[in-house]
Amino acid sequence: MDFKAHIEIKDLNVWYQNHKSLNNISVKIPGKKITAIIGPSGCGKTTLLKTLNRLIELQDNVKIEGNIYVDDDDIYGHNVEIINLRKKMGLLSQKPQVLPMAIYENVAYGPRIHGIKNKKNLDEIVEQYLKEVGLWSEVKNRLNSSALKLSIGQQQRLCLARGLAVEPEIILADEPTSALDPVSAKWIEEKFLELKKRYTIILVTHSLEQAKRIADYLIFLYQGNLIEYGPANQIFENPKYMKTKSYLAGKIIEDIKVDKELDIRGFAKSEISSKISYVLEKLSIGQVLKVITSSEQSVEELSRSIECEGHKVLELIRINKTDYEVYIQKRTATIYEI
Amino acid sequence: MDKRKIEENIFKTLMILATFLIVVSLICILGTIFFKGFRSINLSMLIQTPESGYYIGKEGGILNAILGSLVLGVGATFLALTISIPVVLYLNFYLKKKSNFALGVRFLLDVLWGIPSIVYGVFGFTVMILLGLKASLLAGIITVGLLIIPVITRSLDEVLKKIPFELKEAALSLGATKLETAIIVVFRQALPGLTTAILIAFGRGIGDAAAVLFTAGFTDSIPYSIFKPIATLPLTIFFQLATPFPEVQERGYASAFVLIIIILLISMVSRVLSKRFEKNIVGK
Repeated sequence: MDFKAHIEIKDLNVWYQNHKSLNNISVKIPGKKITAIIGPSGCGKTTLLKTLNRLIELQDNVKIEGNIYVDDDDIYGHNVEIINLRKKMGLLSQKPQVLPMAIYENVAYGPRIHGIKNKKNLDEIVEQYLKEVGLWSEVKNRLNSSALKLSIGQQQRLCLARGLAVEPEIILADEPTSALDPVSAKWIEEKFLELKKRYTIILVTHSLEQAKRIADYLIFLYQGNLIEYGPANQIFENPKYMKTKSYLAGKIIEDIKVDKELDIRGFAKSEISSKISYVLEKLSIGQVLKVITSSEQSVEELSRSIECEGHKVLELIRINKTDYEVYIQKRTATIYEI
Repeated sequence: MDKRKIEENIFKTLMILATFLIVVSLICILGTIFFKGFRSINLSMLIQTPESGYYIGKEGGILNAILGSLVLGVGATFLALTISIPVVLYLNFYLKKKSNFALGVRFLLDVLWGIPSIVYGVFGFTVMILLGLKASLLAGIITVGLLIIPVITRSLDEVLKKIPFELKEAALSLGATKLETAIIVVFRQALPGLTTAILIAFGRGIGDAAAVLFTAGFTDSIPYSIFKPIATLPLTIFFQLATPFPEVQERGYASAFVLIIIILLISMVSRVLSKRFEKNIVGK
């Protein structure tokens, strides 16, 4: 995809103890767009989100490998000031987490720890961001009462105001509407569409409908693997791979049954195509061939040429830095859709 | 009636009996102390220091012990807090959740909690001899401080453990440091529990006799220097009850009554304060 990436994730692996939670994720996230991370529970959506502001490091026994570049700076580099990194990214969590203090203090907290002490400046910031999230008229007369007295929907808006008040460039949202009533949820969605003009938004969501409504780009994760990513409308209309199709159709995602395996690592480029064709020849229609291959360039080419021959690439998975698994289903020349 | 219902009734009765037993014994203790001592409870007892011969039944009061106990309790609580707070912050914010070191420290604190206060008293006495200190307010504060450090640390630790993880995340995601998160956010959330922990520890410190027996000494004057001995209520009670004069023994019961009232006030204050702070915390 050709765009200037705001965030670039390269070869990201995350382990919790011995369990690998994210597997060789490489993806570019465009600036000033909404990128939705979708996938079934436990697929690593939240983990991926939390690696971006390094909150993941609060977990016990977590191991992170790979690079994440934000504006071309590696956030896992040695000289990174984690505080500045987090300041760049506002977090909106699933359940609104207001701080145990007054409404005013909630919004002023961020600017204050980042050095704004002047009462007048703080007043302005609080007013500006409460207006931004449409809370000002509702709370301006009780700025000093506890933020916990607000409704859940209001609390989530307050959390958004609090996040925006530290002037981030990126908004990380972890299922921000799942605890909210439909009206508040709709409000958040509409706000996101407005905010994306100024912020890069990364949204973890369980709701495909929500992703359809507001996402520009999609990242589909399954069991820690990046299955498919690209422009949202393209994926919704024409998902490339089988697992994406099943998930978007609301079906249970099944593992692909492999009938034959072929390792073509180390083969000369010219041989590959004919070798695969030869093996496919011997399979009957509908059977699946798993091809293990290396290097990115040939993989894209390879799957294109396979599709040209009328076969179907069911899945393309990156298994480590260099190697891929390509699952090919043998078809006749006529292409049947699943 | 079927078997399960009978079972239910038997256990319910046992529970009521147990509760009743506690309430009755508390009333008995309070009643005994009050009836044995009420003839000696008067204003002069609260606002006068002992005149000469007080302990054989002459004029005076126990102001020395009331003030001594309060000063000692406050001092020891502050000392314990200055040590406990860094410890619990370190355990809860800087160490991993399943850290073996944290496990060890918690175990150690539990053991220290269980050590009888007379052992602390003896230990304090030994340290005093080593340092060449005499029985004094300072020595008393240090010893009682040591006695209540495990109490206060473990209570605070339990309070901080219950802080929602997401709340820490929320503060950290705004770019707060761990220390800022701990001090501004978590302490507000933990304030009700913190108040209770402090006052429980204060109550324990003010009521202990054995820890101050060798270390704080005893005196008839009110506290005026941390290097001089002070009187405490538990020791006053002990000395008065140990005399052969019925009148002085009566005063002992009156002193005990005063101590109980102080502890009662502390727990009432702690309840009122933690109720008030609870309004501002997440999850209520």
